[in-house]
Amino acid sequence: MVCVFGCILRFHGVPAEERLHWRSFLVKLGSENLKGSKNEELHVASHKSVSIVYTLIGDVCLYIVGKDEYDELALAEVIFAVTSAVKDVCAKPPTERLFLDKYGRICLCLDEIVWKGLLENTEKDRVRRLIRLKPPVEP
Amino acid sequence: MPRSLVGGDLAVPDMAQPYMKKDDDDEDVEYSPFFGIEKGAVLQEARAFHDPQLDARRCSQVITKLLYLLNQGETLTKVEATEVFFATTKLFQSKDAGLRRLVYLMIKELSPSSDEVIIVTSSLMKDMNSKTDMYRANAIRVLCRIIDGSLLTQIERYLKQAIVDKNPAVASAALVSGIHLVQANPEIVKRWSNEVQEAVQSRSALVQFHGLALLHQIRQNDRLAISKLVSGLTRGTIRSPLAQCLLIRYASQVIRESSLSTQNGDSPFFYFLESCLRLKGADMVNLEAARKITEMDVTSRELAPAIKKLQEFLTSSKPVLRFAAVRTLNKVAMTRPLAVTNCNVELDILLLDQNRSIATLAITTLLKTGNESSIDRLVKQITSFMSDIADEFKIVVVEAIRSLCLKFPLKYRSMLNFLSSSLREEGGFEYKKAIVDSIVTLISQIPDAKEIGLLHFCEFIEDCEFTYLSSQILHFLGKEGPRTSDPSIYIRYIYNRVILENATVRASAVSTLAKFGALVDTLKPRIFVLLRRCLFDTEDEVRDRATLYLQTLGGEVAVGANEKDVKDFLFGSFDVPLANFEASLRTYEPSQKPFDISMVSREVKSHPIQEKKAPGKQPHGAGATPAPVSAVVSYQEMLSSIPEFSEFGRLFKSSKSVELTEAETEYAVNVVKHIYDNHIVLQYNCTNTIQEQLLEDITVVVDAMDAEEFSEICSKPLKSLPYNKPGQIFIAFEKPERVPAIGKFSNVLRFTVKEVDTSTGEAEEDGVEDEYHIEDFEITAADYMLKVAVSNFRNAWENMDLDSERVDEYGLGARESLAEAVSAVINILGMQPCEGTEVVPKNARSHTCLLSGVFIGDVKVLVRLSFGLSGPNEVAMKLAVRSDDPEVSDKIHEIVASG
Repeated sequence: MVCVFGCILRFHGVPAEERLHWRSFLVKLGSENLKGSKNEELHVASHKSVSIVYTLIGDVCLYIVGKDEYDELALAEVIFAVTSAVKDVCAKPPTERLFLDKYGRICLCLDEIVWKGLLENTEKDRVRRLIRLKPPVEP
Repeated sequence: MPRSLVGGDLAVPDMAQPYMKKDDDDEDVEYSPFFGIEKGAVLQEARAFHDPQLDARRCSQVITKLLYLLNQGETLTKVEATEVFFATTKLFQSKDAGLRRLVYLMIKELSPSSDEVIIVTSSLMKDMNSKTDMYRANAIRVLCRIIDGSLLTQIERYLKQAIVDKNPAVASAALVSGIHLVQANPEIVKRWSNEVQEAVQSRSALVQFHGLALLHQIRQNDRLAISKLVSGLTRGTIRSPLAQCLLIRYASQVIRESSLSTQNGDSPFFYFLESCLRLKGADMVNLEAARKITEMDVTSRELAPAIKKLQEFLTSSKPVLRFAAVRTLNKVAMTRPLAVTNCNVELDILLLDQNRSIATLAITTLLKTGNESSIDRLVKQITSFMSDIADEFKIVVVEAIRSLCLKFPLKYRSMLNFLSSSLREEGGFEYKKAIVDSIVTLISQIPDAKEIGLLHFCEFIEDCEFTYLSSQILHFLGKEGPRTSDPSIYIRYIYNRVILENATVRASAVSTLAKFGALVDTLKPRIFVLLRRCLFDTEDEVRDRATLYLQTLGGEVAVGANEKDVKDFLFGSFDVPLANFEASLRTYEPSQKPFDISMVSREVKSHPIQEKKAPGKQPHGAGATPAPVSAVVSYQEMLSSIPEFSEFGRLFKSSKSVELTEAETEYAVNVVKHIYDNHIVLQYNCTNTIQEQLLEDITVVVDAMDAEEFSEICSKPLKSLPYNKPGQIFIAFEKPERVPAIGKFSNVLRFTVKEVDTSTGEAEEDGVEDEYHIEDFEITAADYMLKVAVSNFRNAWENMDLDSERVDEYGLGARESLAEAVSAVINILGMQPCEGTEVVPKNARSHTCLLSGVFIGDVKVLVRLSFGLSGPNEVAMKLAVRSDDPEVSDKIHEIVASG
């Protein structure tokens, strides 16, 4: 299960009736811990059997939630991929305005990184090429 | 990488708001590209998709707006969605790469219905064979998201090619699609095994990762194949750390499944895990390996390197690594605290970690590993730290404190002080309840803590906002308070509740007062004065209770022969499990016949009726019965509603269901044995699994030739048994009263079969008589024994009459292992193992097992079994029995001797 969460909220494998609960839980978690947090400082928590990794990038809060094999370490990979991609698209830590200006691109990045709850791509350069329909360059 | 998720996206507005730094004049909001966006207007704009000359830039903007709307939770009506979908498919004409990429995403977001999919499949199939690599990759992802099984077989060939495509993005797209598809279409995806195997050898790290995950999914039910897969790859070079982590998980799974035959240390897979600990520059891999080793049943020597690695991570600069390490160590500390003590210095430092989750895990780990001398310091540290953390963390800390206090009872004073000061702090119900439960446990286990603990409770209820907790504490005060050195000190606190609280608490307080009056003679007259004041309460329940206690304790209404009878009547336990009592009361309908508490079952064990039900399997037999609190309660209700059995009295025990047919045969039959004092009732649960048949007049012909003491008295056949609708047949036997008669029963199912036309569901008029042999089963001595646990075996044992004790020794012969011998004897007796003594430590040469139960006739039985190994695997056993009835003690020996 991975959900990426800025202005865009995606759930996979979370029943509809639990989504609001998750939303308020994450907002609370953020309001308790992200105040005064440094840009891109990684926060981590667990709630019942799930892990949560979250951060603040520019004006945007980003939460990644997962369980089982998506533990805190795997989620850290995901959040790193997402923050690098967002920075890459926006060319800097985004303001709210900038984030919304690049909304379409960011949606495409998320679609490349997490697909229906599974991690698909991790590198920002690769993601940058993929969203332009260019084949990745393998090292 | 098991797939855990099913689709569905949701967007909630303003999610990013809490920490958005707003400009003073909110200009940003005004100039947001989506400011004032409206669904209707955007749908109008989407008409641009139909233009013969497509403006790619404009179309991209419209799709972005649509995505924004959908992500904000806006929904499209069926008609709107169809229109947008059709319009979007027009965009395949454009060659603009950016627009094409958005079109792929849009189609996935719209999740077209199956009749619409057909419109887009030809375009996508074309893209799937395109020379442009990325068209292929995206077309695969979209197709796999929207198609069903029948279409999948059509594109299977292309998917197999894609898996081994030289472009890693195409290969990954096909593999991840495979992971999603394997759930619904396992048979099809299994056919791709060779290609996936090739992908695992790919040079691309991500293709390896996805390939490995899919290959594991394909082979997950084949242990040998998994073992081969892992052993092949552990020797090879897996590049991606993510894939390496998967491999570690699969290797530990193989070790776990084969641990019975080999020692961990000898396994080549274990060497692999150890080598992963040492891998340089791969924190994720090191941690995964350490975590898996700590989860295994390893020796201290094997565990040490893993702990050492975790210890290193405790001081990492990355919070995720610190968190992962401390979380793992916390788990280890639950079972092997000594192994973690070396990390105490690092854990101490983590108490000051900015991340509160890490600090909480550190403190709860320390509480498990700490020694007696460090407790005071720890408790002091926690106190300063509690106000910073959320309730759910506080509960974890409270539970850790409770277990620590039970471990070091001499330190109860500082820990009780900590708990009671936490009670006074702010906190929600769950947190307060955890504290109250902890104090109750401490008082019950540590006698010295009683008086201080009760006084803390008294102070807490003066200002407690939770009715449930006030009532619980008042009840507890009534139980423990009268037995303290000075019971009078509690009365003020209790009576204050009568004056100040709501009706529920007032009623509880009245009962508590009465208990003090009943148990402490010197207080009785003063308590009576207080109780009389309660007679003017505004609440019926409070007045009723006060009246009852005054009348009975004052001797105005006679209950029983002496004062003891009065106290038993008022405060004695019901001697039946409360859950069963509650369930019986709920089904009792007010009538002339008073409620009879002796009819309530005493069996505590609650096993779900459909214990065998697995996903995809047909439910067996008793499915028709609603889910009960405890199986026996619902069986009692069901049986007593059948006139033939209503006179049998109280149901003593119902066995678990015994399967009489193999899985997946034409008819599934199992039997539940219901034991009464003078009777047994056999309940055959039958299911007809053939759609083309209807069974009628079904009965079971039981041959009780090998069960001489039983005679059949009546049977209740089943009128009809349609396909997949379980039904029951009952047969009752008489047996000598309270005698644990045993015997073997052979059974034949007899019925009339009628053919059913599956298209209409109608059965033919004429049927054919037929028989179906089902397995034999036995009534054994264990069927007459209820598993009833005792909380303190030693006390219970010593309270039993010594004259009832019967001791004898038995040679059990050569057995597979000591553990096997122990479990065999437990099964023969059918008793409840106490205090975890059913678990035999590895390599033990001797073992003592404690059992308790209630034998038919409501006779309490306790058993002490002492096992010893002599020679290679020769097991000898000493059996000591005490029971309420010496004859039953003898009977237990007979059972063991004949078993």
